[in-house]
Amino acid sequence: MSLQSSGRKSGRFVLPGERLGVIEEFIPDAGTYVRDGVIHSRVVGRALLDLLNKRVSVYPLVHGAKVPKNGSVVLGQVSNVQTQNATMRIFQIDKKQLSGFFTGILHISDVRLRYVESMFDVCKPGDILRAKVISEKNRTYHLSTKDKNLGVVHAFCLRCGYMLELKRQEMRCPRCGKIEKRKAALDYGEGAM
Amino acid sequence: MSRKPEKLIDKKGLRLDGRKPDELRPIKIEVGVLPNTDGSAYIQQGKNKILAGVYGPRELHPKHLALPDRTVLRCRYRMAPFSVQERKSPAPSRRDIELSKVIREALEPSVFLEYYPRTGIDIHIEVLQADGGTRCASITAASLALADAGIPMQDLVTACAAGKVDNTIVLDLMDTEDKEGGADVPVALMPNLNAITLLQMDGILSLEEFEKAANLALEGCRKIYPMQKEALKAKYVSVKEVEE
Ligand SMILES: [Zn+2]
Repeated sequence: MSLQSSGRKSGRFVLPGERLGVIEEFIPDAGTYVRDGVIHSRVVGRALLDLLNKRVSVYPLVHGAKVPKNGSVVLGQVSNVQTQNATMRIFQIDKKQLSGFFTGILHISDVRLRYVESMFDVCKPGDILRAKVISEKNRTYHLSTKDKNLGVVHAFCLRCGYMLELKRQEMRCPRCGKIEKRKAALDYGEGAM
Repeated sequence: MSRKPEKLIDKKGLRLDGRKPDELRPIKIEVGVLPNTDGSAYIQQGKNKILAGVYGPRELHPKHLALPDRTVLRCRYRMAPFSVQERKSPAPSRRDIELSKVIREALEPSVFLEYYPRTGIDIHIEVLQADGGTRCASITAASLALADAGIPMQDLVTACAAGKVDNTIVLDLMDTEDKEGGADVPVALMPNLNAITLLQMDGILSLEEFEKAANLALEGCRKIYPMQKEALKAKYVSVKEVEE
Protein backbone atom coordinates (compact mmCIF):
# COMPACT_ATOMS: atom_id res chain seq x y z
CA MET A 1 0.00 0.00 0.00
CA SER A 2 2.81 2.42 0.85
CA LEU A 3 4.37 1.51 -2.45
CA GLN A 4 1.15 2.43 -4.19
CA SER A 5 0.65 5.75 -2.47
CA SER A 6 4.20 6.82 -3.18
CA GLY A 7 3.74 5.74 -6.78
CA ARG A 8 0.76 8.05 -7.09
CA LYS A 9 3.06 10.98 -6.65
CA SER A 10 6.28 9.72 -8.15
CA GLY A 11 5.07 7.37 -10.88
CA ARG A 12 5.80 8.32 -14.45
CA PHE A 13 3.18 10.58 -16.03
CA VAL A 14 1.61 8.70 -18.91
CA LEU A 15 -0.89 9.46 -21.65
CA PRO A 16 -3.31 7.03 -23.28
CA GLY A 17 -1.36 4.74 -25.59
CA GLU A 18 1.97 5.02 -23.84
CA ARG A 19 3.94 1.79 -23.66
CA LEU A 20 4.32 0.36 -20.16
CA GLY A 21 5.94 -2.98 -20.82
CA VAL A 22 5.27 -6.39 -22.34
CA ILE A 23 3.05 -9.18 -21.00
CA GLU A 24 6.10 -11.40 -20.52
CA GLU A 25 7.37 -9.12 -17.73
CA PHE A 26 4.18 -7.72 -16.16
CA ILE A 27 0.55 -8.59 -15.49
CA PRO A 28 -1.62 -5.78 -16.87
CA ASP A 29 -3.87 -4.25 -14.20
CA ALA A 30 -6.34 -1.33 -13.95
CA GLY A 31 -6.00 1.49 -16.46
CA THR A 32 -4.12 -0.54 -19.05
CA TYR A 33 -4.80 -2.54 -22.18
CA VAL A 34 -2.83 -5.06 -24.18
CA ARG A 35 -2.23 -4.91 -27.88
CA ASP A 36 0.07 -7.35 -29.68
CA GLY A 37 1.63 -8.41 -26.39
CA VAL A 38 2.51 -4.86 -25.41
CA ILE A 39 0.91 -3.19 -22.39
CA HIS A 40 -0.29 0.36 -22.98
CA SER A 41 -1.97 2.94 -20.76
CA ARG A 42 -5.57 3.82 -21.58
CA VAL A 43 -5.98 6.94 -19.41
CA VAL A 44 -4.06 10.02 -18.36
CA GLY A 45 -2.37 9.07 -15.12
CA ARG A 46 0.70 7.81 -13.33
CA ALA A 47 2.20 4.43 -14.14
CA LEU A 48 2.62 2.18 -11.10
CA LEU A 49 5.08 -0.65 -11.42
CA ASP A 50 4.63 -3.24 -8.69
CA LEU A 51 7.89 -5.12 -9.03
CA LEU A 52 7.02 -7.48 -6.16
CA ASN A 53 3.84 -8.85 -7.73
CA LYS A 54 4.92 -8.07 -11.29
CA ARG A 55 1.90 -5.91 -11.93
CA VAL A 56 1.59 -2.71 -13.89
CA SER A 57 -1.33 -0.33 -13.54
CA VAL A 58 -2.14 3.31 -14.18
CA TYR A 59 -3.46 5.48 -11.38
CA PRO A 60 -5.85 7.87 -13.17
CA LEU A 61 -5.36 11.61 -12.76
CA VAL A 62 -8.63 12.34 -14.55
CA HIS A 63 -11.91 11.90 -12.76
CA GLY A 64 -14.53 11.35 -15.35
CA ALA A 65 -16.47 9.08 -17.63
CA LYS A 66 -18.94 7.85 -14.99
CA VAL A 67 -21.86 5.64 -15.88
CA PRO A 68 -24.20 3.97 -13.34
CA LYS A 69 -22.97 0.57 -12.19
CA ASN A 70 -24.42 -2.06 -9.91
CA GLY A 71 -24.09 -0.71 -6.39
CA SER A 72 -23.53 2.93 -7.26
CA VAL A 73 -25.51 5.45 -5.24
CA VAL A 74 -27.23 7.91 -7.52
CA LEU A 75 -29.14 11.14 -7.11
CA GLY A 76 -31.87 12.22 -9.49
CA GLN A 77 -35.15 13.93 -10.07
CA VAL A 78 -38.36 11.91 -10.25
CA SER A 79 -39.91 12.47 -13.65
CA ASN A 80 -42.92 10.17 -13.72
CA VAL A 81 -44.85 8.14 -11.14
CA GLN A 82 -47.30 5.32 -11.71
CA THR A 83 -48.85 2.92 -9.19
CA GLN A 84 -46.12 0.30 -9.64
CA ASN A 85 -43.14 2.27 -10.97
CA ALA A 86 -41.40 5.58 -10.79
CA THR A 87 -38.85 6.84 -13.29
CA MET A 88 -36.12 9.25 -12.47
CA ARG A 89 -33.46 11.29 -14.22
CA ILE A 90 -30.12 10.48 -12.65
CA PHE A 91 -27.85 13.53 -12.60
CA GLN A 92 -25.26 12.48 -10.05
CA ILE A 93 -23.39 9.19 -9.63
CA ASP A 94 -21.30 8.54 -6.50
CA LYS A 95 -21.07 12.31 -5.85
CA LYS A 96 -19.95 13.04 -9.40
CA GLN A 97 -22.16 15.48 -11.29
CA LEU A 98 -23.06 14.40 -14.82
CA SER A 99 -23.20 16.65 -17.85
CA GLY A 100 -26.18 14.71 -19.15
CA PHE A 101 -28.47 12.29 -17.39
CA PHE A 102 -29.38 8.62 -17.25
CA THR A 103 -32.86 7.22 -16.73
CA GLY A 104 -33.52 4.89 -13.81
CA ILE A 105 -36.59 2.94 -12.75
CA LEU A 106 -37.74 2.29 -9.20
CA HIS A 107 -40.22 -0.56 -8.81
CA ILE A 108 -42.61 -0.67 -5.88
CA SER A 109 -41.09 -3.94 -4.62
CA ASP A 110 -37.70 -2.26 -4.22
CA VAL A 111 -38.87 0.71 -2.16
CA ARG A 112 -38.96 -0.73 1.37
CA LEU A 113 -38.43 -4.06 3.08
CA ARG A 114 -42.09 -4.12 4.07
CA TYR A 115 -45.13 -3.92 1.81
CA VAL A 116 -45.86 -0.65 0.04
CA GLU A 117 -49.36 -0.09 -1.24
CA SER A 118 -48.87 2.60 -3.87
CA MET A 119 -45.96 4.35 -5.52
CA PHE A 120 -47.76 7.65 -4.94
CA ASP A 121 -46.95 7.24 -1.21
CA VAL A 122 -43.24 6.99 -2.05
CA CYS A 123 -42.41 9.93 -4.28
CA LYS A 124 -43.96 12.51 -6.59
CA PRO A 125 -42.72 14.07 -9.83
CA GLY A 126 -40.12 16.74 -9.14
CA ASP A 127 -38.78 15.17 -5.95
CA ILE A 128 -35.05 14.67 -5.54
CA LEU A 129 -34.39 11.03 -4.77
CA ARG A 130 -31.32 9.10 -3.64
CA ALA A 131 -31.23 5.46 -4.70
CA LYS A 132 -28.92 2.55 -5.33
CA VAL A 133 -28.48 0.81 -8.68
CA ILE A 134 -29.37 -2.88 -8.30
CA SER A 135 -29.44 -4.00 -11.92
CA GLU A 136 -28.45 -2.72 -15.35
CA LYS A 137 -30.34 -5.36 -17.30
CA ASN A 138 -32.76 -4.71 -20.14
CA ARG A 139 -31.15 -1.39 -21.06
CA THR A 140 -32.45 0.30 -17.94
CA TYR A 141 -31.02 1.07 -14.55
CA HIS A 142 -33.16 -0.55 -11.85
CA LEU A 143 -33.01 1.24 -8.54
CA SER A 144 -33.70 0.44 -4.91
CA THR A 145 -34.36 2.59 -1.84
CA LYS A 146 -34.28 -0.28 0.70
CA ASP A 147 -32.06 1.53 3.18
CA LYS A 148 -32.62 4.27 5.73
CA ASN A 149 -30.14 6.49 3.93
CA LEU A 150 -31.96 6.11 0.63
CA GLY A 151 -35.19 7.73 -0.47
CA VAL A 152 -36.49 11.23 -1.08
CA VAL A 153 -34.06 13.95 0.02
CA HIS A 154 -36.09 16.92 -1.18
CA ALA A 155 -39.83 16.99 -1.84
CA PHE A 156 -42.20 19.66 -3.02
CA CYS A 157 -45.80 20.41 -2.10
CA LEU A 158 -48.21 19.17 -4.71
CA ARG A 159 -50.52 22.12 -4.15
CA CYS A 160 -48.21 25.13 -3.89
CA GLY A 161 -44.74 23.85 -4.82
CA TYR A 162 -43.10 24.84 -1.53
CA MET A 163 -40.47 22.55 -0.03
CA LEU A 164 -42.02 20.06 2.37
CA GLU A 165 -40.83 19.62 5.95
CA LEU A 166 -40.46 16.25 7.62
CA LYS A 167 -42.10 16.11 11.04
CA ARG A 168 -42.81 12.90 12.90
CA GLN A 169 -43.00 10.59 9.88
CA GLU A 170 -45.17 13.15 8.15
CA MET A 171 -44.50 15.51 5.26
CA ARG A 172 -46.03 18.86 5.87
CA CYS A 173 -46.05 21.98 3.74
CA PRO A 174 -45.04 24.96 5.92
CA ARG A 175 -46.91 27.36 3.63
CA CYS A 176 -50.29 25.80 2.94
CA GLY A 177 -50.36 23.04 5.52
CA LYS A 178 -50.91 20.17 3.10
CA ILE A 179 -49.83 16.77 4.42
CA GLU A 180 -48.25 14.26 2.04
CA LYS A 181 -46.56 10.88 2.14
CA ARG A 182 -43.00 10.06 1.07
CA LYS A 183 -40.33 7.42 1.58
CA ALA A 184 -37.82 9.89 2.97
CA ALA A 185 -34.11 9.35 3.45
CA LEU A 186 -32.66 9.73 6.94
CA ASP A 187 -31.04 13.06 6.08
CA TYR A 188 -34.17 14.50 4.44
CA GLY A 189 -33.91 18.25 3.82
CA GLU A 190 -30.39 18.53 5.23
CA GLY A 191 -28.43 18.69 2.01
CA ALA A 192 -28.05 21.97 0.17
CA MET A 193 -30.30 22.44 -2.79
CA MET B 1 -9.14 41.43 -49.38
CA SER B 2 -6.29 39.05 -49.95
CA ARG B 3 -4.55 39.32 -53.30
CA LYS B 4 -2.91 36.37 -54.89
CA PRO B 5 0.80 36.66 -54.18
CA GLU B 6 3.08 36.14 -57.17
CA LYS B 7 5.37 33.73 -55.43
CA LEU B 8 4.51 31.52 -52.47
CA ILE B 9 8.15 30.68 -51.87
CA ASP B 10 10.89 33.29 -52.22
CA LYS B 11 14.41 32.98 -53.58
CA LYS B 12 15.80 31.99 -50.20
CA GLY B 13 13.35 29.13 -50.04
CA LEU B 14 11.23 30.76 -47.34
CA ARG B 15 7.44 30.89 -47.34
CA LEU B 16 5.09 33.88 -47.13
CA ASP B 17 5.22 33.94 -43.35
CA GLY B 18 8.97 33.35 -43.28
CA ARG B 19 8.82 29.65 -42.45
CA LYS B 20 11.12 27.02 -43.88
CA PRO B 21 9.33 24.35 -45.95
CA ASP B 22 9.42 21.80 -43.12
CA GLU B 23 8.51 24.19 -40.32
CA LEU B 24 5.28 24.18 -38.31
CA ARG B 25 3.37 27.31 -37.40
CA PRO B 26 3.65 28.33 -33.74
CA ILE B 27 1.31 26.15 -31.68
CA LYS B 28 -0.26 26.84 -28.32
CA ILE B 29 -2.42 24.20 -26.64
CA GLU B 30 -4.41 24.41 -23.44
CA VAL B 31 -6.47 21.65 -21.80
CA GLY B 32 -9.55 22.04 -19.59
CA VAL B 33 -10.61 25.51 -20.69
CA LEU B 34 -14.38 24.95 -20.54
CA PRO B 35 -15.60 24.07 -17.02
CA ASN B 36 -19.13 23.29 -18.20
CA THR B 37 -17.98 20.37 -20.34
CA ASP B 38 -16.63 17.00 -19.24
CA GLY B 39 -13.43 17.64 -21.15
CA SER B 40 -12.12 20.43 -23.33
CA ALA B 41 -9.11 21.82 -25.15
CA TYR B 42 -8.08 24.97 -27.00
CA ILE B 43 -5.56 25.11 -29.79
CA GLN B 44 -3.91 27.99 -31.52
CA GLN B 45 -1.98 26.97 -34.59
CA GLY B 46 -0.76 30.00 -36.50
CA LYS B 47 -3.89 32.09 -36.88
CA ASN B 48 -6.23 29.15 -36.26
CA LYS B 49 -8.12 29.40 -33.01
CA ILE B 50 -10.19 26.34 -32.18
CA LEU B 51 -12.13 25.17 -29.14
CA ALA B 52 -13.14 21.56 -28.58
CA GLY B 53 -15.52 20.35 -25.88
CA VAL B 54 -16.64 16.83 -24.98
CA TYR B 55 -19.78 15.69 -23.17
CA GLY B 56 -20.37 12.18 -22.05
CA PRO B 57 -20.61 9.29 -21.93
CA ARG B 58 -24.27 9.98 -21.23
CA GLU B 59 -27.68 8.69 -22.19
CA LEU B 60 -28.19 9.09 -25.89
CA HIS B 61 -31.18 11.00 -27.22
CA PRO B 62 -33.03 10.17 -29.42
CA LYS B 63 -32.84 6.76 -27.81
CA HIS B 64 -33.21 4.70 -30.98
CA LEU B 65 -29.71 5.79 -32.03
CA ALA B 66 -28.16 3.95 -29.10
CA LEU B 67 -26.20 0.79 -29.84
CA PRO B 68 -26.39 -2.25 -27.53
CA ASP B 69 -22.67 -3.02 -27.62
CA ARG B 70 -20.90 0.33 -27.72
CA THR B 71 -21.11 4.06 -27.31
CA VAL B 72 -22.02 6.32 -30.20
CA LEU B 73 -19.46 8.99 -30.96
CA ARG B 74 -20.99 12.14 -32.40
CA CYS B 75 -19.03 15.08 -33.70
CA ARG B 76 -20.14 18.58 -34.55
CA TYR B 77 -17.68 20.85 -36.32
CA ARG B 78 -18.76 24.46 -36.85
CA MET B 79 -17.13 27.65 -37.97
CA ALA B 80 -18.10 30.87 -36.27
CA PRO B 81 -19.54 33.56 -38.59
CA PHE B 82 -16.52 35.75 -37.76
CA SER B 83 -13.94 33.01 -38.31
CA VAL B 84 -13.25 33.94 -41.93
CA GLN B 85 -12.72 37.22 -43.79
CA GLU B 86 -16.20 37.36 -45.22
CA ARG B 87 -19.02 36.54 -42.86
CA LYS B 88 -19.86 32.87 -42.96
CA SER B 89 -23.49 31.90 -42.60
CA PRO B 90 -23.97 30.34 -39.17
CA ALA B 91 -26.02 27.52 -40.68
CA PRO B 92 -23.97 24.34 -41.09
CA SER B 93 -22.54 24.24 -44.59
CA ARG B 94 -21.87 21.08 -46.58
CA ARG B 95 -18.23 21.48 -45.65
CA ASP B 96 -19.04 21.66 -41.92
CA ILE B 97 -21.05 18.46 -42.13
CA GLU B 98 -18.37 16.67 -44.11
CA LEU B 99 -15.62 17.76 -41.75
CA SER B 100 -17.69 16.62 -38.76
CA LYS B 101 -17.76 13.16 -40.28
CA VAL B 102 -14.08 13.18 -41.25
CA ILE B 103 -13.01 14.27 -37.76
CA ARG B 104 -15.27 11.70 -36.10
CA GLU B 105 -13.83 8.92 -38.21
CA ALA B 106 -10.30 10.05 -37.43
CA LEU B 107 -10.99 9.91 -33.68
CA GLU B 108 -13.16 6.79 -33.53
CA PRO B 109 -10.31 4.22 -33.73
CA SER B 110 -8.63 5.79 -30.70
CA VAL B 111 -11.59 5.44 -28.32
CA PHE B 112 -12.61 2.25 -26.51
CA LEU B 113 -16.22 2.50 -27.66
CA GLU B 114 -17.27 -0.82 -26.10
CA TYR B 115 -16.69 0.45 -22.54
CA TYR B 116 -19.97 2.34 -22.37
CA PRO B 117 -22.70 0.50 -24.28
CA ARG B 118 -25.98 2.33 -25.02
CA THR B 119 -24.49 5.77 -24.35
CA GLY B 120 -23.29 8.65 -26.46
CA ILE B 121 -20.23 10.88 -26.46
CA ASP B 122 -20.61 14.29 -28.07
CA ILE B 123 -17.66 16.24 -29.41
CA HIS B 124 -18.24 19.89 -30.22
CA ILE B 125 -15.63 21.77 -32.22
CA GLU B 126 -15.94 25.50 -32.62
CA VAL B 127 -13.60 27.26 -35.04
CA LEU B 128 -13.22 30.82 -33.82
CA GLN B 129 -10.69 31.84 -36.41
CA ALA B 130 -9.68 29.86 -39.47
CA ASP B 131 -6.40 30.00 -41.36
CA GLY B 132 -6.06 26.71 -43.21
CA GLY B 133 -5.61 23.27 -41.73
CA THR B 134 -8.54 23.54 -39.33
CA ARG B 135 -9.45 19.87 -39.68
CA CYS B 136 -6.04 18.79 -38.43
CA ALA B 137 -5.95 21.30 -35.59
CA SER B 138 -9.51 20.26 -34.67
CA ILE B 139 -8.53 16.59 -34.45
CA THR B 140 -5.52 17.44 -32.28
CA ALA B 141 -7.71 19.48 -29.91
CA ALA B 142 -10.66 17.08 -29.87
CA SER B 143 -8.43 14.15 -28.96
CA LEU B 144 -7.10 16.11 -25.99
CA ALA B 145 -10.66 16.98 -24.95
CA LEU B 146 -11.54 13.27 -24.99
CA ALA B 147 -8.53 12.47 -22.80
CA ASP B 148 -9.49 15.35 -20.49
CA ALA B 149 -12.97 13.84 -20.15
CA GLY B 150 -11.37 10.66 -18.82
CA ILE B 151 -12.61 8.50 -21.65
CA PRO B 152 -10.46 5.37 -22.05
CA MET B 153 -8.46 5.59 -25.23
CA GLN B 154 -5.98 3.46 -27.14
CA ASP B 155 -3.88 6.48 -27.92
CA LEU B 156 -4.09 10.20 -28.55
CA VAL B 157 -4.62 11.34 -32.11
CA THR B 158 -2.36 13.99 -33.59
CA ALA B 159 -2.99 15.51 -36.99
CA CYS B 160 -1.00 17.62 -39.39
CA ALA B 161 -1.10 18.44 -43.08
CA ALA B 162 1.54 18.75 -45.75
CA GLY B 163 1.15 19.89 -49.34
CA LYS B 164 2.68 21.23 -52.49
CA VAL B 165 3.32 24.92 -52.99
CA ASP B 166 5.26 26.23 -56.00
CA ASN B 167 6.57 22.72 -56.69
CA THR B 168 7.94 22.36 -53.18
CA ILE B 169 6.58 19.99 -50.57
CA VAL B 170 5.81 22.04 -47.44
CA LEU B 171 4.48 21.29 -43.96
CA ASP B 172 1.40 22.76 -42.23
CA LEU B 173 -0.19 24.89 -44.94
CA MET B 174 -1.79 28.19 -44.05
CA ASP B 175 -4.85 29.53 -45.82
CA THR B 176 -3.16 31.26 -48.80
CA GLU B 177 -0.91 28.30 -49.44
CA ASP B 178 -3.88 25.98 -49.18
CA LYS B 179 -5.90 27.99 -51.72
CA GLU B 180 -3.14 28.92 -54.16
CA GLY B 181 -0.93 25.89 -53.77
CA GLY B 182 -1.07 22.64 -55.68
CA ALA B 183 -2.14 20.00 -53.21
CA ASP B 184 -2.89 19.25 -49.58
CA VAL B 185 -2.43 15.98 -47.67
CA PRO B 186 -3.92 15.94 -44.15
CA VAL B 187 -2.79 13.02 -41.98
CA ALA B 188 -3.90 11.94 -38.51
CA LEU B 189 -1.70 9.62 -36.49
CA MET B 190 -1.87 7.65 -33.27
CA PRO B 191 1.76 8.29 -32.32
CA ASN B 192 2.37 5.44 -29.87
CA LEU B 193 0.71 2.77 -31.97
CA ASN B 194 2.13 4.29 -35.15
CA ALA B 195 -1.25 3.94 -36.84
CA ILE B 196 -2.79 6.37 -39.32
CA THR B 197 -6.45 7.20 -38.72
CA LEU B 198 -6.92 9.80 -41.45
CA LEU B 199 -5.28 10.25 -44.81
CA GLN B 200 -6.76 12.50 -47.44
CA MET B 201 -5.47 14.16 -50.55
CA ASP B 202 -6.79 17.25 -52.23
CA GLY B 203 -5.11 18.23 -55.50
CA ILE B 204 -2.70 16.48 -57.80
CA LEU B 205 0.58 14.91 -56.73
CA SER B 206 2.88 12.41 -58.33
CA LEU B 207 3.52 9.20 -56.45
CA GLU B 208 6.90 10.40 -55.18
CA GLU B 209 5.49 13.77 -54.17
CA PHE B 210 2.65 12.09 -52.35
CA GLU B 211 5.02 9.86 -50.43
CA LYS B 212 7.18 12.83 -49.53
CA ALA B 213 4.17 14.89 -48.42
CA ALA B 214 2.69 12.05 -46.34
CA ASN B 215 6.02 11.44 -44.61
CA LEU B 216 6.46 15.15 -43.94
CA ALA B 217 2.95 15.31 -42.44
CA LEU B 218 3.74 12.32 -40.21
CA GLU B 219 6.90 14.10 -39.09
CA GLY B 220 4.72 17.12 -38.26
CA CYS B 221 2.42 14.91 -36.15
CA ARG B 222 5.40 13.61 -34.20
CA LYS B 223 6.44 17.22 -33.51
CA ILE B 224 2.95 18.16 -32.29
CA TYR B 225 2.55 15.12 -30.00
CA PRO B 226 5.02 16.37 -27.33
CA MET B 227 3.05 19.62 -27.20
CA GLN B 228 -0.17 17.66 -26.58
CA LYS B 229 1.58 15.83 -23.78
CA GLU B 230 2.85 19.05 -22.25
CA ALA B 231 -0.65 20.53 -22.36
CA LEU B 232 -2.13 17.58 -20.44
CA LYS B 233 0.78 17.60 -18.04
CA ALA B 234 0.25 21.30 -17.36
CA LYS B 235 -3.29 20.60 -16.23
CA TYR B 236 -2.86 17.35 -14.33
CA VAL B 237 0.59 17.43 -12.80
CA SER B 238 1.46 19.67 -9.82
CA VAL B 239 -1.71 21.77 -10.12
CA LYS B 240 -3.94 19.15 -8.59
CA GLU B 241 -3.43 15.55 -7.70
CA VAL B 242 -6.93 14.14 -7.89
CA GLU B 243 -7.99 12.64 -4.60
CA GLU B 244 -9.61 9.21 -4.20
ZN1 LIG C 1 -48.08 23.75 -0.03
